[in-house]
Amino acid sequence: MSKTLTQLEAADFINRSFKPLPRSYGDALVEAALQDERIVALCADLVPPTETDRFRDELPDRFLNTGIAEANMIGMAGGMARSGEIPFCHSFCAFITKRVLDQITMQAAYPNLPVKIVGFLPGIATLLGVSHQAIEDVAIMRAVPNMAIFEPSGPEYHAAMVQMALAWDGPVYLRMKRPDTTPDAFTPQPLEIGKGVIRREGSDITIISAGICVSEALMAAETLAQDGIQARVVDMASLKPIDEELIIESARKTGAVITVENHSIIGGLGSAVAETLMDAGIGVAFKRVGINDQFCEGGTTPYLMQKFGIDHRGIENVIKDVLSRKKKV
Amino acid sequence: MKQDHNLKELEQIATKLRLHVVNMVAPSGQGYVQQGLGAADLFTSLYFAEAKMDPENPTWADRDRIFLTTAHNTAIFYATLGERGFFDTERLSTYVTNGSELEINSSERLGPFVEATCGSLGQGLSVAIGCAIAAKRQGRASRFYVIIGDGEMQEGQVWEAAMLAGTKGLDNLCLIVDYNFVQSEGTMDKVMSLEPLMDKMASFGFACQEVDGNDMGALLNAYDEARQTKGKPTFIKANTLMGKGVASLEGLMFHQLRFPEEVANSARAELEAQL
Repeated sequence: MSKTLTQLEAADFINRSFKPLPRSYGDALVEAALQDERIVALCADLVPPTETDRFRDELPDRFLNTGIAEANMIGMAGGMARSGEIPFCHSFCAFITKRVLDQITMQAAYPNLPVKIVGFLPGIATLLGVSHQAIEDVAIMRAVPNMAIFEPSGPEYHAAMVQMALAWDGPVYLRMKRPDTTPDAFTPQPLEIGKGVIRREGSDITIISAGICVSEALMAAETLAQDGIQARVVDMASLKPIDEELIIESARKTGAVITVENHSIIGGLGSAVAETLMDAGIGVAFKRVGINDQFCEGGTTPYLMQKFGIDHRGIENVIKDVLSRKKKV
Repeated sequence: MKQDHNLKELEQIATKLRLHVVNMVAPSGQGYVQQGLGAADLFTSLYFAEAKMDPENPTWADRDRIFLTTAHNTAIFYATLGERGFFDTERLSTYVTNGSELEINSSERLGPFVEATCGSLGQGLSVAIGCAIAAKRQGRASRFYVIIGDGEMQEGQVWEAAMLAGTKGLDNLCLIVDYNFVQSEGTMDKVMSLEPLMDKMASFGFACQEVDGNDMGALLNAYDEARQTKGKPTFIKANTLMGKGVASLEGLMFHQLRFPEEVANSARAELEAQL
């Protein structure tokens, strides 16, 4: 009885199962902190959902639960960074960007301090609905000078996120997704700041994606291959700075580009790619796939991705349309 | 601390700072006169008596840090920094001119002695708390002083920060409100009262003192007590008088004040006579 109750109570805000979820980001952060004593962690009362429970338990003197007070958290992180520490701040994407933009700009970005802003629940990937969904966070953070933005395509890249955040000498926004299950064995390709990774080669069209849409893009590419369409799939984990060279080379090589993101089509990856191509004077068949300038709703992630057209089926349909336009170009 | 300092000397410094304020604002009319005159004793007591600092080495890791979170009160701030030796006082004449680092709202581009870029109100206390926590973690004896505006305390983030400072018992933190009772659109009681402020801060876990913010000795005693207080941050309600030190301006409760040449001239003459 008591054991069952303990287990019930132990379910965290997001994970209602009896099995702990993988904690690849949180483990990587602890490992980094054991190597570098400047690293500290702050969390606005969402400890397991931001994978900071191990940090809290193993490095309690360097961990601070700030309470549900994100603005103060970012300001304090600025003070800690001014004192020689490297603070990693944790909450959900929606709260740690939109709610505290002024604090981020004035206390992290303008002074170019190593404040690492780590959000979970990217885009529509939450049951919790509009209040917890961040479909404009990349657009907002991309416009902030000095800020770098990295988004992993899966838990196998979480450890790299910590290293990239540390390698950027300034403020960073990590757009994280807690894994639902333990990932299959996978050898990650090395990530680099300002570099995209070609996850699949193809010459008919390029799909540039990030985050949870990358695996959907890969699935769509496999399906299309059965019809003889070969798509290059680029994982743009470094959203800012972005790999302009690879974008331009891909457009020239394949003659058609689509972007796929778990974010509004306004201001995020799609906009960044379009800006790069227009600045370079490259006109190719192009389409942004993402949330079409609308608010969404709560639901399971696969359901929402399908409903709002950012799953593999949506990608396949868009590619067919774009390729029909490519022929006319 | 009080007995270690010659109050008369400090009061002379405050008068000198007031004279700078008049001279800096007079040419363009831009900048805070009333607030600067009112806060001159606060700035003098902190920068010339209480806080440990080294103008030759402004990033000295063990310094005390002073945060001006009402970052628009810059005439008195820059006058203080210049007189204290952080830069040449000749630069004060560039105040609010294009290209000058002496902007109307202070920015750290002026130098590291601007401990944080504030002015978007309500943020500086959080930064100071971050520094205070880091200092404890690093075993430093530094103290952290925050000069906050009374109107600024209407910002919600201030109370998030106060809650944390009180809960964590940050006794290396001293929050001083420059209680001049005026904000942009009028007096505090008309816009949004903070009262009962002492009770509020006490309930947030601060050791609270109320002093005459234009009484040098009282301010030094308050800092003394703050330094001796263990396990709690200190809150000092420093009641300051707008326009203090210039008879014709004292008590004029205007956030923005027209400052015509004849008024500036008589203020200048009055302050010079006190030196």
